[in-house]
Amino acid sequence: MQTFKLFYLWLLLLPVSLFAQQEVTGTVTDESDLPIPGVNILVENTDRGTVTDFDGNYAIEVSEGETLVFSYLGYKTEKVAYQGQETLDVSLKTQSESLDEVVLVGYGTSTKKELTGSVSSLQEKDFTKGNIVTPENLIQGRAAGVNVTTGGAPGSGSAIRIRGGGSISASNDPLIVIDGLPLNNNNLAESRSILSTINPNDIKSFNILKDAAATAIYGNRASGGVIIIETKDGGKDFEVDFNYQMGIYDLPNKIDVFSADEFRSLISERRPGDVDMLGDANTDWQEEIYRVATSTDQNASVRGNLFDVLPARLSLGHRDQDGIRRTSNFTRSTASISLNPSFFDDRLRISLNANAAFEDNRQADGVEGAAIRFDPTQPVRDLNSPFGGYFEYFTRGNDGQINPVLGTRNPVASLVQRRNESSTDRFYGNFKVDYRFSFLESLRAVVNLGLDDSSGERSNVLSRESINGIQYSDGSFNGSAFRRDRSQRNTLFDAYLVYNEDVTDKLNINVRGGYSYQKFEAEGFDTGELRDEDQVDQSNSFVDPELILLAYFGRAEFKYDQRYILSASVRRDGSSRFGEGQKWGTFPAASFAWNLSEEEFLDESELLSNLKLRAGYGETGQQDIGSTAADKLIGTGFYQQSQPVGQVIIGGQPVRAGFPQARNDQATWETAKTINVGLDFGFFNDRLTGTIDAYNRDTEDLFVNAAVPDGSNFTNQIFQNSGTLNTKGLELSLNGLIADSEGDRDRLNWNLSYNVTFIDQEIESLANGQDIRTGGIAGGTGSNIQLLREGFPQNQFFVYKQIYDNNGNPIEGAYADLNGDNIINDSDRYLYRKPQADVTMGLQSTMNYKGFDLTFNMRANIGNFVYNNVNSSRAQFSFLRDNAVLGNIPTQVLETGFENRTPESLLSDIYIEDASFLRMDNVQLGYTFEEFFDQSASLRLYGGVQNVFVITEYSGLDPEIFGGIDNTIYPRPRTVLFGANVRF
Amino acid sequence: MKTEKKKTLLGLLLLAIALMVSCEDELDQDPQDDDAFTVEDFYEQDSAYIKALGGVYANLNVPSPSGAFASNIEGLDAGTSTYGRSLMNLQTFTTDEAVWSYENDPGIGEVQRSSWTAENVILRGAYGRIMAGVAFANEFLRQSTEDKLNTRGVSDSKKQEVAVMRAEARVLRALSYYHMMDLFGKAPLVTEEDPVGSTQSPEMTRQEVFNFVEEELLASIPELEEPMMNDYGRVDKGVAWMILAKVYLNAEVYTGTPRWADALEYTENVINAGYSLTDNYIDNFRADNDVNGAQNEIIFPIPADENFAQAFGPTTVMTNGAVGSIEQNGDEIGVQPAGWGGAIRLTPQFVSLFDGQEFSGDDRNRIIGANNPERTLEINDIVDQDQGYILEKYTDVRSDGTVGNQLTFSSVDFPMFRLADAYLMYAEAHLRSGSGSQTQAVGYINALRERANGDSSENISSSELTLDFIIDERARELYWESHRRQDLIRFGLFTGSEYIWTLKGNSITGVPTPDFRKLFPIPNASLAANQNLTQNPGY
Repeated sequence: MQTFKLFYLWLLLLPVSLFAQQEVTGTVTDESDLPIPGVNILVENTDRGTVTDFDGNYAIEVSEGETLVFSYLGYKTEKVAYQGQETLDVSLKTQSESLDEVVLVGYGTSTKKELTGSVSSLQEKDFTKGNIVTPENLIQGRAAGVNVTTGGAPGSGSAIRIRGGGSISASNDPLIVIDGLPLNNNNLAESRSILSTINPNDIKSFNILKDAAATAIYGNRASGGVIIIETKDGGKDFEVDFNYQMGIYDLPNKIDVFSADEFRSLISERRPGDVDMLGDANTDWQEEIYRVATSTDQNASVRGNLFDVLPARLSLGHRDQDGIRRTSNFTRSTASISLNPSFFDDRLRISLNANAAFEDNRQADGVEGAAIRFDPTQPVRDLNSPFGGYFEYFTRGNDGQINPVLGTRNPVASLVQRRNESSTDRFYGNFKVDYRFSFLESLRAVVNLGLDDSSGERSNVLSRESINGIQYSDGSFNGSAFRRDRSQRNTLFDAYLVYNEDVTDKLNINVRGGYSYQKFEAEGFDTGELRDEDQVDQSNSFVDPELILLAYFGRAEFKYDQRYILSASVRRDGSSRFGEGQKWGTFPAASFAWNLSEEEFLDESELLSNLKLRAGYGETGQQDIGSTAADKLIGTGFYQQSQPVGQVIIGGQPVRAGFPQARNDQATWETAKTINVGLDFGFFNDRLTGTIDAYNRDTEDLFVNAAVPDGSNFTNQIFQNSGTLNTKGLELSLNGLIADSEGDRDRLNWNLSYNVTFIDQEIESLANGQDIRTGGIAGGTGSNIQLLREGFPQNQFFVYKQIYDNNGNPIEGAYADLNGDNIINDSDRYLYRKPQADVTMGLQSTMNYKGFDLTFNMRANIGNFVYNNVNSSRAQFSFLRDNAVLGNIPTQVLETGFENRTPESLLSDIYIEDASFLRMDNVQLGYTFEEFFDQSASLRLYGGVQNVFVITEYSGLDPEIFGGIDNTIYPRPRTVLFGANVRF
Repeated sequence: MKTEKKKTLLGLLLLAIALMVSCEDELDQDPQDDDAFTVEDFYEQDSAYIKALGGVYANLNVPSPSGAFASNIEGLDAGTSTYGRSLMNLQTFTTDEAVWSYENDPGIGEVQRSSWTAENVILRGAYGRIMAGVAFANEFLRQSTEDKLNTRGVSDSKKQEVAVMRAEARVLRALSYYHMMDLFGKAPLVTEEDPVGSTQSPEMTRQEVFNFVEEELLASIPELEEPMMNDYGRVDKGVAWMILAKVYLNAEVYTGTPRWADALEYTENVINAGYSLTDNYIDNFRADNDVNGAQNEIIFPIPADENFAQAFGPTTVMTNGAVGSIEQNGDEIGVQPAGWGGAIRLTPQFVSLFDGQEFSGDDRNRIIGANNPERTLEINDIVDQDQGYILEKYTDVRSDGTVGNQLTFSSVDFPMFRLADAYLMYAEAHLRSGSGSQTQAVGYINALRERANGDSSENISSSELTLDFIIDERARELYWESHRRQDLIRFGLFTGSEYIWTLKGNSITGVPTPDFRKLFPIPNASLAANQNLTQNPGY
């Protein structure tokens, strides 16, 4: 009954429309039939107005024929022509697509119209569709300045970078806050990632706070940006939603190596003496380690009002996904419940979100390197092999003992003979109490308690049939086995007061202040190797030091006449990481917005429907330098006792030695200072909207893992606040409603959104001006390809300059003697290219027509380079010999003709490749049957393709390599998916 | 009513504030793990001082308290960062004694081709590791002062033990500075008076380092246990004398002023301290060299254990690495049959030291290759592991032929100093100073020869005892024991054109090198972190 359509009201009350001005009363409610206090009610074209009381009730004098305007932040404004009725109840719909859209900011909400900082907000309707396994993929490519790079393994985590990150040695991960609970960025290793346990179907919105004016309220961990995730909550209407999806995964691309026949001719040509080592088989090892995999995903959610008083939502999800790399699997079961009751005339609102997730994984080792190298003329199976019937290289001694021959191991056997399984149980959620004081209606108190508790275990067993196992002195193979447990817990206590007062008609003040306490705990147990009884017992249990973060924060907002909005915040943060006198940091921010379109000179504009200018400055802190005990106690240091294998032998007896740990009692907060200027605009009655942001960020007291004076500490390198990193960027996002169906299902509706990000980073200063090597590569124990240097972007490639002959072919072993000292050594390396893209773009198109929907997403990165470590470490003819056996190599060797891999060739700029790309992430076609089964039910069927195509010049498997070093990856599969969604 | 509520609210607020402020204490956190201690908790333990001193000793072997795969010295591969490995890389692989096949392992190519720069990671690791030895020793001295012991209520008998330990820590610190002086010349002076953190200490010249090492050793000696009276593996007077003997023997290189007489005196001290040659030369390099008799010859080892003290230290590398690519002789060495696939080979110049009939029965001649037609003497292509001879010196095999179960890590204690070295040093000091006894010098040489040959057939005569003989005989007796670079420098053969070997000067056949390469450069990272340091000439 509650959702009486206004339309019917009008009809019913038409006959009594002749009365003069009279009092009308009523209640304003939201879609869940909850009363909305504070709704503005104006009689159009008069100065008569009122607001609803705490129960949503109002009374106003009105004449027939006049129009009442009901407006409230976050809701669609309703205009009702008064027809003389005595009561007029109005239900306001939430704004889904306008400036009044609710946006979550730290410790509160705002609207797009009132935002002063740079915030990207994505609601459910904006999410990327398709095969979404982990929540961050909902926003991949969707927000300017936000990069999400996801791996190819099932349930794989992602590297998320907001505005490129502002740190070097400290974490660049954004702070992720779910329902007010900031997550720990160090996920349990038993789980694929911190977000992999979260069911994407439970998410209502993503709010990405990008500039410091927006993030400073989260001071302590906000330097990498903040992502606020809101989960779906309970409602009063009964709703059921059921989703089913299945996916089929296949390998889209392979690394080019020689085929068996090509390999045979290559060996007979180049290593005629080794022809007898060739086999008779024709094996494509990359085909053998992969498979066509499938996944199923089911989700059901129910919303309703329990016992008529308790708005609730219950959701269950189950996903079972095999990876394309043989044996890998990801299974996740989730249950979440959300309760949102309110008491005492809505004075007390409580929300409880409780989530349980159970994740099971089977990890498959990265055997791509072995698949590339393994001799293609050898078979996968060998019936005479003692190794479970898999072909391996070995010899038999005179006593019959089996001796493995040094060489690559059968990658298929490596996969099949290892069972590396982990499972994680995670419980997380929050309990929030929001109380409005009776004696002071403008004042609310909010307390939020959060808990995120994960425990996981892993069992990693290698079969006794494997050649990779431990070989006892009697010659027998015994595989390998170990187990471990891990658990971690993150608890939160937040409490704050909010004071919100309309000081005058036009001036609104909103002040809040509070306290936040967060504790991180972790512990674990490892068995060590269980299959080797002769070895030292290396079992070990550990408990990490607790990490405590606590903070006092406050924010004040002044809004004047919807035109001028001023916001200022400050947060004082303490971290237990740091030593005495260094624990606290203060992070202020201020920002201002001017709604130009509210000004008279623009009010009448036909073309321009919205224009807002924003400017802000803020400071944020970073203290996350790692999760080891040494990282957590960097300020004080401690003594670490030898593990069983790291003892000192004194008088023939092992003694557990005490090692003082390195410390930096001067370590303190890294601080990012950001200036952001932005413009929000809308044209043609907001059919074309957009946002431009420009920012400059200086990260000062940058954590750098840099040299300390030798002998002064118990290491030669430690985290120090020494350096400055500058980031400049420009972000543009546009959203165009190209065809507007105006709600008519039979007409075409076409929405196109596009975003582009330009980013430029430079290290302005670095500890002692000293270069720092980064970017470890394969091909030499401890080799590095990247460098941090003052005056340059982060992690540029530090390489030798290859010399080419007149025909443009590289001359093997010839590099430019850049310093002219006639010696080619480390001093001749130079900085060349960088892994970060200069420009990233995203595009989403959504079309609806007569029940059909067609969506696609594309992303492009321009100016990102990749070091092809697959080729640099293998594509040389000398690798046709693999220790005692033969080995395959990438066909790229034909381009260089290189015979040998040398320390210099490994670092030649010939292996730095342009990895700019255009990728179609997803295309999906669906059809919705309305009034399916029942009037109120609908059914949507859809099908799509994920990872449709990639256009790139990069010669390797996939140009999207986070960090820019490609030494084989878990390939991102191409996925075909089908799904159904039922709602009623 | 309203005021009541306000009072309640105020009360709640005050309570809340009190709670919040009390939580601020939680910002002071201590370790929670059973293997981690606050400093004071650590020294509350009964065995605290031997464990703490153990940390100073452990720095010579393991790269970290968790074993071989992590390191408290950064900037290079963890395994490569150990103390013994650093000495091996810089004293052995810079010379004719060995060639490392995997030049793609960062830094080693430059090290063995005399083309190193101040960016070289092996140099950075060595500099950091050796100075960490100073830091660990200083921490022990800081934590074991009279005041600290009194505060902690340490008993008088314990205090006497700690006094000896303090002397040991000072000797270990002097050992580090001796290595700094030998490799890098100069060094920052850091003592227990300096705070832990990032103090930029003043630079000592090579002469000042020399003086510091000499004074510290002389001052410590009276406090030390008598030779061979301390636990095996710990410093005693014999160790301190041996370091002094080394310092004096090389004094001319270090300071320009020879100290041959002092070298002779301290070598004699060592020789007369009760050490004895073990019967079989090779027992010095076996898995049980701590108990098979070699412990009486070894003056100072870096004890290793394949189970309890795992490291990719010198003996792990020189066992696994010695396995030939063709020979696959890991079984004989006590490692996996294929070992590391032929990591270490010999230059033909080194092989030639054993040329001649007189060395055919010499037990020290462990070279393999002459009988293998697939293997060549010359190395023309560094990547081809079939080129160049190999040898078996260190074997992770016990004297009874048994092999431990751990086939990667080594139980062979690295003999940093042993009596045979002292014999050769005596002979050299005698030749150079003219004092001492020629008969004794020849006798010492012949003691080594008789052990190597089983009889006196290859004994030398007094006329054969020359400096040219000494440098070669040192190589034959002491190869792969991290002495060669120091010896070649003392004999004027390391740089310049007088002695050329494969890869010297970054040439496959070898070319002369400039004299500045007698010293390694101060690593750039170290220079940057401590502005008081200055670079060595030539770099």
